[in-house]
Amino acid sequence: MTPQKRSHHRLKRAVAPYLYLSPSLIIISLLMLLPMVTVIGYSFQNSAVLRRDPSFAGLKHYQAIFADPVFWASLWHTLYFTCMSVVFHMTIGMIFALMLNSDRINPTLRNILRVLYILPWLFTAVIIAVIWRLLLEPNGVVNSILMQLGIIGSKVEWFSSPETALHAVTFANIWAGYPLFMVSLLAGLQGIPKDFYEAADIDGAKAYQKLIFITIPQLMPIIISISLLDFIWTMQVFPLIWITTGGGPIYSTEVLSTYTYKLAFSSYNLSQAAASAVIILLISLGLTLFYIRYQKAR
Amino acid sequence: MAEVILENICKTYGNNFHAIDQLNLSVEDGEFLILVGPSGCGKSTALRMIAGLEDVTSGSLRIGGVDVVDMPPKDRDIAMVFQSYALYPHMTVFENIAFSMRLAGKPKAERRKRVDEIAKTLQLTSLLDSKPANLSGGQRQRVAMGRAMVREPAAFLMDEPLSNLDAKLRVQMRAEITSLQKQLGVTTIYVTHDQTEAMTMGDRVAVLKGGVLQQVDTPKRLYESPVNAFVAGFIGSPSMNLFEATLTGDELTSGTFGVRLQDAAFVRRPGLRSYAGRKVVFGIRPEHLYDSSLESGRKYQTIPAKVTSIEELGSEHIVHLNIDAVRVDSGDPDAVEDYGLTSNAVAKFEPDSAVRSGSEIRLALDDSKLHFFDPETHLAI
Repeated sequence: MTPQKRSHHRLKRAVAPYLYLSPSLIIISLLMLLPMVTVIGYSFQNSAVLRRDPSFAGLKHYQAIFADPVFWASLWHTLYFTCMSVVFHMTIGMIFALMLNSDRINPTLRNILRVLYILPWLFTAVIIAVIWRLLLEPNGVVNSILMQLGIIGSKVEWFSSPETALHAVTFANIWAGYPLFMVSLLAGLQGIPKDFYEAADIDGAKAYQKLIFITIPQLMPIIISISLLDFIWTMQVFPLIWITTGGGPIYSTEVLSTYTYKLAFSSYNLSQAAASAVIILLISLGLTLFYIRYQKAR
Repeated sequence: MAEVILENICKTYGNNFHAIDQLNLSVEDGEFLILVGPSGCGKSTALRMIAGLEDVTSGSLRIGGVDVVDMPPKDRDIAMVFQSYALYPHMTVFENIAFSMRLAGKPKAERRKRVDEIAKTLQLTSLLDSKPANLSGGQRQRVAMGRAMVREPAAFLMDEPLSNLDAKLRVQMRAEITSLQKQLGVTTIYVTHDQTEAMTMGDRVAVLKGGVLQQVDTPKRLYESPVNAFVAGFIGSPSMNLFEATLTGDELTSGTFGVRLQDAAFVRRPGLRSYAGRKVVFGIRPEHLYDSSLESGRKYQTIPAKVTSIEELGSEHIVHLNIDAVRVDSGDPDAVEDYGLTSNAVAKFEPDSAVRSGSEIRLALDDSKLHFFDPETHLAI
């Protein structure tokens, strides 16, 4: 091989991986990076999109958002909605996974329960929203059952009263989202060696001690990964809230996604909507970095 | 410390499979008993029943005089070392060893003191803060031992604890466990499929096959007087050669050769006379076969054999041979590996043997070391 040929061969070897990556890189740049950068640009302009020659606005839109009490309410609602969802997704997912993994329950019953428990996952957000709107209607099934049981005295307008609306949408989201935890934890449970429990039996561990000292530590990597992912996704939930309450009544279920949507498509304040979107982006980015760092540390 | 007594223990699974059939075994206080047998013989099941991890279908099981059949594992005062060690990966060595004390709610200072003592015995002191993932196989094995020792149990149960180690470490740990057991003097029941471990470690060895106990004896007696062809074939490596022959007068004949038996052979086994004119199974260990051209083999009678292959191990030669006799299967599934397709006998020759593969030789055999079995029942005569 001549030196020239050799250096040509080396160049080809060095470039090849980038050539293979280029289609995906180009698509991601066009569909994700470009819009993201554009939105960041809009957030610093006056009358972005609406005018041909928008002027530079500096941090004006960010200041406006931070001064808006509805923004702070949305942020608080988002946090509540997200934290409650993640905590209950995990708790319910864990209980159901433990049940499905128990060999004390009849295998046929376990298979039936497995299908039943996973059902909420099969529905799209729109269907879930419609189901819960029907169930939680003032004249719906839930109210009638609760009244028959004597738990409530009069019909509750779950989605239309400011006191209950946020809890109601959170509840619907919890119902819709636990199967991911259940399936992941069940897989994790099945991967824990039986020996661990047998050794603990001989050492005199009670059921709760086995849960605390063996099961939960063994599942920890899964619990943390899925919780972080769930946190990132739940923060951005839009259709469920939009279809059930639309952010109302009186902003009581307004979350960052609905707040931003309204700024853009109700008030046509696209610049301010862009600034709000950038804030969501920053929060998500922070969580994502945290997740990546956790994954790397493992 | 306590004795462990199994009486008529049976284990039947739902599909009517008898894993253990009428097992009677008594392990004395402080004794090191080995349960050995081929895969699927029920030895692990037996151990797990003693531990309480498996239900006993029928029979009685006493540890230290207490009937434990209906007791949960934790109340049986036993500790177990698992084949996988079952160390908790998220706990340090210290936490692993101290786990049972933590469950029992023992104060921290007491835990520290006890674990330090054990770590010293097992040379784990410098590793107490490590996680199991950072330990070598031998170290993990020792941690598993430590976890069993911490509770000062009445009996240790060990389920193939050395099978995950490489060959060299296994030899080392074999010696370590044996001396540790002597030092602690705790009744120990040790399950293995490795007959070398069985022969070198235990005070007594119980040989199981198909859920049925074959023989319980000291290693020496198992080797010298196996009660049946299975034990004969299972104990010893390579396995004992077993062949069918006809007893004609005082001569064993098979195909083209005959082996004359001395009177002593009949004196020791009065029953052998009754096989005159009938078929009989005879066995000879590879180490009792000699190369007739060497000094050691000169004094014995010889039979013709063809060498099929030789494994030169340095200290000895394992010679695979073909002799004119029908090989008898001892019933040990692992023994088949000792024979190739073309050979039916194995001999251990001294390293200065000059036999070559493919050559016809005269094989010397020490007829005083012959074993005899009934061709139908395979029981020793």
